[in-house]
Order: sequence, then C-alpha cells, then structure tokens
Amino acid sequence: MAIRLQFENNCEVGVFSKLTNAYCLVAIGGSESFYSIFESELADVIPVVKTSIGGIRIIGRQCVGNKNGLLLPHTTTDQELQHLRNSLPDSVVVQRIEERLNALGNHVACNDHVALAHPDLDRETEELIADVLGVEVFRQTIAGNILVGTYCALSNRGGMQVHPHTTIEELDELSTLLQVPLVAGTVNRGSDTVAAGMTVNDWTAFCGSYTTATELSVIESVFKLREAHPSAIVDEMRKSLVDSYV
Amino acid sequence: MVEYNFKKITVVPNGKAFIDIILSRTQRTTPTVVHKGYAISRLRQFYMRKVKYTQSNFHDKLQKIIDDFPRLGDIHPFYGDLLHVLYNKDHYKLALGQVNTAKNLISKISQDYVKLLKYGDSLYRCKSLKVAALGRMCTVIKRIGPSLAYLEQVRQHMARLPSIDPNNRTILICGYPNVGKSSFMNKITRADVDVQSYAFTTKSLFVGHTDYKYLRYQVIDTPGILDRPFEDRNIIEMCSITALAHLRAAILFFLDLSGSCGYSIVQQAALFHSIKELFSNKPLIIVCNKTDLQPLEGLNEGDKKLVMEMKSEASKSQGGEAASADDFLLTMSTLTEEGVMAVKNAACERLLDQRVEKKMKSKKMNDCLNRFHVAMPKPRDQKERPACIPQAVLEAKALEAAQKEGRKTEKDIENENGGAGVYSASLRKHHILANEEWKEDILPEFLDGHNVYDFVDPDILLRLEELEREEGVRQAEAEDGDEDFEMDGEDLTPEEREALQAIKKKKILLIQEHRIKKSTAESRPTVPRKFDKERKFTSERMGRQLSSLGIDPSRAIERARSRSVSRKGRKRERSVDRDGEDGMEIDGGSSNKKLRLRSMSRSRSVSRPFGEVVPGEGFRDSAQKMKAITMARNASKKRNKDARRGEADRVIPTLRPKHLFSGKRSIGKTDRR
Repeated sequence: MAIRLQFENNCEVGVFSKLTNAYCLVAIGGSESFYSIFESELADVIPVVKTSIGGIRIIGRQCVGNKNGLLLPHTTTDQELQHLRNSLPDSVVVQRIEERLNALGNHVACNDHVALAHPDLDRETEELIADVLGVEVFRQTIAGNILVGTYCALSNRGGMQVHPHTTIEELDELSTLLQVPLVAGTVNRGSDTVAAGMTVNDWTAFCGSYTTATELSVIESVFKLREAHPSAIVDEMRKSLVDSYV
Repeated sequence: MVEYNFKKITVVPNGKAFIDIILSRTQRTTPTVVHKGYAISRLRQFYMRKVKYTQSNFHDKLQKIIDDFPRLGDIHPFYGDLLHVLYNKDHYKLALGQVNTAKNLISKISQDYVKLLKYGDSLYRCKSLKVAALGRMCTVIKRIGPSLAYLEQVRQHMARLPSIDPNNRTILICGYPNVGKSSFMNKITRADVDVQSYAFTTKSLFVGHTDYKYLRYQVIDTPGILDRPFEDRNIIEMCSITALAHLRAAILFFLDLSGSCGYSIVQQAALFHSIKELFSNKPLIIVCNKTDLQPLEGLNEGDKKLVMEMKSEASKSQGGEAASADDFLLTMSTLTEEGVMAVKNAACERLLDQRVEKKMKSKKMNDCLNRFHVAMPKPRDQKERPACIPQAVLEAKALEAAQKEGRKTEKDIENENGGAGVYSASLRKHHILANEEWKEDILPEFLDGHNVYDFVDPDILLRLEELEREEGVRQAEAEDGDEDFEMDGEDLTPEEREALQAIKKKKILLIQEHRIKKSTAESRPTVPRKFDKERKFTSERMGRQLSSLGIDPSRAIERARSRSVSRKGRKRERSVDRDGEDGMEIDGGSSNKKLRLRSMSRSRSVSRPFGEVVPGEGFRDSAQKMKAITMARNASKKRNKDARRGEADRVIPTLRPKHLFSGKRSIGKTDRR
C-alpha cells in the first residue's frame, strides 16, 4: 500500500529515508512525525532506524542497500557507523566504502537481486556492491541519465518507475535486465526524479504528499502493492492516464 | 494554459477618489518649496515636473485598468460570451475605450502645457499654467466618472464569477427550473449549492468538483432554462445557454417526470428540441429525475413516447461512441439517492471516452506512448528472484482485516513529553545488542590519543598482524632502494647549486658586458675607476707601453686628450639638482662613484662658444644662428628702452579673482585665498 507523507514540508521523501525489505532508515527530523509514519507502518516487522550520514539528513541519496547489506559513503562518521551496526540485525552487512562518488543512493539503484550502477563507479565499489548486497551489477544509464539511482525506484515485486523520457525499447531492455516489470512514470505531481520522491519495498511504498491519485495508482499497480497488477496500467487506467498526460 | 481568474483585477476608484489619489501623490512626491527669486529656468522646471509627474501617474493608473480587464476577443469564447451576457459587450468596450481616450487626452494636455510652460516668464504665470493643466486633467477624469463606476461594478462581479477552466473535464447540468439540478450537484460534489423549492433558485453558474477514475471533473450547475425564443431569454437563462454553447462538456439534460416542477413533460421535451443544436458533438445523457414520485414505467403512452424520442435524438447528436443504448437515458432520484452515482459515472465515462478518442489522434500522443507501456521482462536465466515479504507482514495484513490496533508511536511519546523541540528521542532505544544493559553504555570517542572506533573490530588483531607483516616486507624493500634515493637527493642539490652559480655568473657577465658597451658607446678612452684600482691605466703608461711596442704614442695620447675636450652636440641633460652633488664633490666626501666618474671624465667646464649651433636648435649653421640672435635683440630693443611689458614678463591675469574675495567665508574657502 502506498502512503503519502512529507518530511518537514518537503515532498522528497526518498531523499530523507531508505526503505528495504530488512530495515528502514529515516532521517532525524525536528519532530517525530515523519519517523512515526514509518514506525506505525513498519516497526512491527523490520527495524526503523533514525540516523544521519556524515551529519546530514539526505540519507536516502547517500547510502544504498537491500535486505543483505548496507553500503555507506566514506563521509559516514564512526559513531554513525557504530549506531547503524548496533541497530540493524546481524544478517545485514554494514560497510563503509571509499568511493569518490559519495552520493551512493544517486549512483546505484538496486533490489535484492540486481543493481544498476553509475558508469563511472570504481571497480572496487562495483565488486563491493556485488559482494555486500549480493546482487548482479550492471553499469547502465536511464534515458541518457547516468544518475540511475535518482531516476529509478526498484523492488523485487516487479516494478519500478523510471525517468518519463525513457523510450519503450529502453524500457523493455531494462526490464529484461532487471527481471521485473517496468513502467515509466512520475511522482510528486510530475517530478521525474522518481527515487527522490518515493521509497519502496516489496510490500509498501512511501510517496511525497504532492503525488496525484493517478501517479499513486500507477505506483500501486506496478509495485503490486495491492491486488493490482502492472497490466492494470494498460487496461483500466489507460484512459485516465491518456487524459491526464496528453 | 491560460488561467481564468478575474480576482486579481485591481480596484477601480471612482472619479473623485481617482483625482484625489493622483493629486495627493503629486503633492507628496514632488518638491513643494519654490521662491520667487529662483532663476526662471528653475521655476519652469519645477512646474513642468509637476505637470509631467501628474500626467504619468494618470497614464499608469489608466493603463493598468485597461490591461487588467480582459479583452473579450482574446479570452476563451465561453468567458467572452458570458461577460457579454452579464455586462453587455458594447457597454464594456465603450467604458474601456473611454478610459483609453482619457489616457490619451491627458497625455496631450500635459504635452501642450509643458510646451506653454517653456514660455512662462514668472513664477505666477508658471503656477497658473500648472494649475490649468492639472485642472484640465481632472476634468477629463471627472467626465469618465460613470465609466469608472461601471468598471468597478463589473470588476466586483467578475471577482465573484466561478473559476471555470473551459478546457478541463466538465459535466454540465441543464434543464427546466426546479427539476433537481442543484440537488444532484450537491449529491455528487461538495459545492453546497442553495436548494429551494421555487424556480430560479440558482441564478448564476456554480462550480463543484468530483472525482472519477483518479481524475477530477468540474461539475457546472446552470440556472434553469425556459422554452421561449432566444431573444426573450433573460440574463440568468443566457448564462446557461452560454455554458451549453461553448463548453466541451458532458451534458446532463434533466427531466422531471413527475411534473412537480410545474412544467409538463411535453414542455420539457419542447425545450429539449429547441436547444438540441447546442448538444451536438457532446456526450448527452437524458436524466429522468424524481423517480420516487413518478417512475419511468408508470408514464402514460404519450409522455413515454416523447421521452423515447428525446432518447433517440440524444443518441443521434452523439459525440463519441456510446457504450450501450441504455447510457442515453438514465433514471434517478436525488431524494432517495437511487441512481445518482450511476448517472455521474456514466457522464464521466462518456466524457472521458470522447476526450481520449480525440487525444489519441493528437500528435502529442506519440511523445507519451512510453508512459502507457508496461515493460514485462523476458527471462534471461533460470535464476529465481523471489520477492521478500516477511511472514509478519502477511499476518499483519490478515489481522488488519479483522481489527486495527493502534501502536504507540514515537510521535505519541513526543506529544506526551512536551512536543516537538522539547522531546528528544534516544537513538539508542532500538539497538539490537547481546545485552539490553549495554544500550546506554557510554563509549569514549578518543582514548589515549586514539580514535576508539578505529579499534572497534572483532578481528582487529588479525589485521594488525597482517599489516605489520606487510609493513615489514615494505621496509625491507625500502631499505634496498634506500641508498639510491639518498644519492639522488645529494646529487640533486649540488646540481641545483651549480645551476644557480652558472646563472649568477652569466648575470654578472651580462652586466659587465652592458657596462662596457655603455662606456664605449661614448667612446670614452678612460677605463672605469672600478677596474683601475691601482691607477695604472694612465696615459703615460699607455705611452710607455705603446713606445715599448715600437709605436709612436703621441697621436694616441693626443686623441685621448682631444676627445675629452671636444664636444659633440649636447643633448638635454638630466635635471637632477647638480648643485647639491657638486657641493658634495667639493667636499670630497662623495661616495657615489658613478657621479664622480662622470665629473672626472669632463676635464674642465668650458662654456659653449657664442653662436655655436647645437643640434635640435633648428639652425642651419652658425651664421644663421647669429642672424637670428641679432634679429631678436633688435625686436626687443625698443620695448626694453621704454621699459614696457614684454611677452617674457611674468603675468598675473586677475590679481583679485572675484570668487575668492566675495561673499561670506564658508568652510573650505580659506586655503584657496
């Protein structure tokens, strides 16, 4: 089920949180409202951890992770690393990496099985992604955009959303690569930085509060969050989409 | 996309207020103090400024009015016609035209009076001209007072018009008065339109919004229409007609089967047929309302036939293919809410179908094709990539269906403890540690000058060993290559030193070379004292040396002597104060060897022979120079004899400049005196 929320009046929810199937990281805010929405939704099942990375709050863009592990940029302080190690279950490997491109969330998009990576990432980083997160890594771009992590939101259930200018051929190619159904879409009333506007795992999604009903329904069907199936986008919703996009 | 919002038009002041605003602004923002004694140009400028400023204010304000009000030709025809119906296009245009004329008149007046002011010859005249100019401008504004008042009324009314977006998805409700249009509107939107039991409760257009299939539709409630000729319709009805004519909307034509609205089905059918042209190419649904009073089945034959006729008409005038024939005629009862949603859904669906059909043909569709495409993966290997949903989630979902139990969230705790900013949650609360008691343990960041976290590692010792081993290997390697490195380092510094010395040497050589060149340039036979410490380079010595070589030295010595005496044409000399240096030389204590050198080279000061030509004086030869000198002397002879002032005498043009010797002494004049 997709939930709409805000972080301190900011709709870029994916920037301030990192959601995976084994844990959820949430930025430390001025109040507990943002955290509590995640808490009420997830805390029974997975740990919801408040943290900063390198003293700043845009944790969703800085780190990358899945149920197997969590990669942190070199800016992470020792205290934060220790805090994360203490808060996450032992099955999750927490690793700090020396990568020049330290906004890992923008450069890597991954689910539990495959990852797309920025073409300029170091070889060692690529190996670390493969080892720590246990995924196949593909160096890819999305619609000519090298920030794959920004323009794509992924889960195992299927779907993801990519940059709305992706061509159909590219979509098919990416879909085969990732082995999940894909659809091009937007969040937050037309924002194309999909991963910044939402964060998703296999059973739930959190979107910025500007997200329209149409966008939300696309998200719910492509990520199979309800009974909806990705094919719903081409069947029942098609007319609404045509009328709102064209 | 043009937004139709007339709420932003600025207030149009009435004639009197308008004049007050402008004149008080002129008074406030232009200088007010003027003296009779001012220069006339200043007086003229003072009053011209007032006239011009007033004019520009009038111009700005009037222009703003003209720009703010929409031009009927430029806006969407729906709004164009609606404004025409409500305010009468001619009147509206006339008012704006008058404002425009007034604006031009005022500019003209200002121009004229500024021209006249140029010829104003006294303060009084200038002032009178200004008064006349402003007076005439105010008269112009006073004359368009009624137009301004009209425009203000129009503005107030326009601000209250519903903001209808003519290009958006729209559902239009129309029909006879009192057939239940507004009740339906209230059922499907939250507009809260006034519903009363008399006709013409709704006197203007009302807008509400409703959702269908993730999209927002605007629902427009129109006033009731009577079946009469077009010309006889009143303004209230014309609003409906305008909306029907110009909005590309789904139209719900309401029928009151029971006749409780006061009009029979025959009358309603007649109305339908008289305005059916307005329905062409629009999805049309005939809605039979008030089925609780009179169901469709219970109608008598004649009425039923009329209804069916309308239905067939509706299916003919169709834009967009209808899903089924039933869609053209629906029954409902706003009282019992029976069929209300069916009507709304049918209308929305039909409208959506039509819009989508139109959009599918548009060019823009191709750009968006990728957004209606779901890429399904082709299997590329046999690997299973299952989703990872914890069992707890599935259980929770099942449980959720049964009951929803609230969890005490961090926010609740925060609120209990003083709210945001006061409460600060512990980050360690949810740490997963072997022992619960460890949670709050304080770990030092630094210990004995070391970063503690560098040592937080279960296999740190193993790694240390590894590192040490590696370091040992490296050190061994380094020792091998050590000497080379050192040698290199030693080699390098002397190399550099050598290079430096070479540079210095070269520099010295260059300087010497330059000096030699400089001295030989004047072919001075002397050897600089610097190189003649023992005073051995004398002419006697030269003579001795030459004679020992068997050469007669007399000519050489002669030459050296005569050279120093002979003079080439003297160039302009440096204007250093020689006196001081000469004095020092006399004292014999001068340490400046260069100057000494120079003075020594000149053997004796010899005055220039009279009449000798110096290059640059411009004389051909000394005869010419002599002639010139004689002529100059003759020319000044008479004047000198009379002791008169000549051109060479000192001249003070003004002995006592007026500006320095008149008026009060103010700050800053003293030192100029």
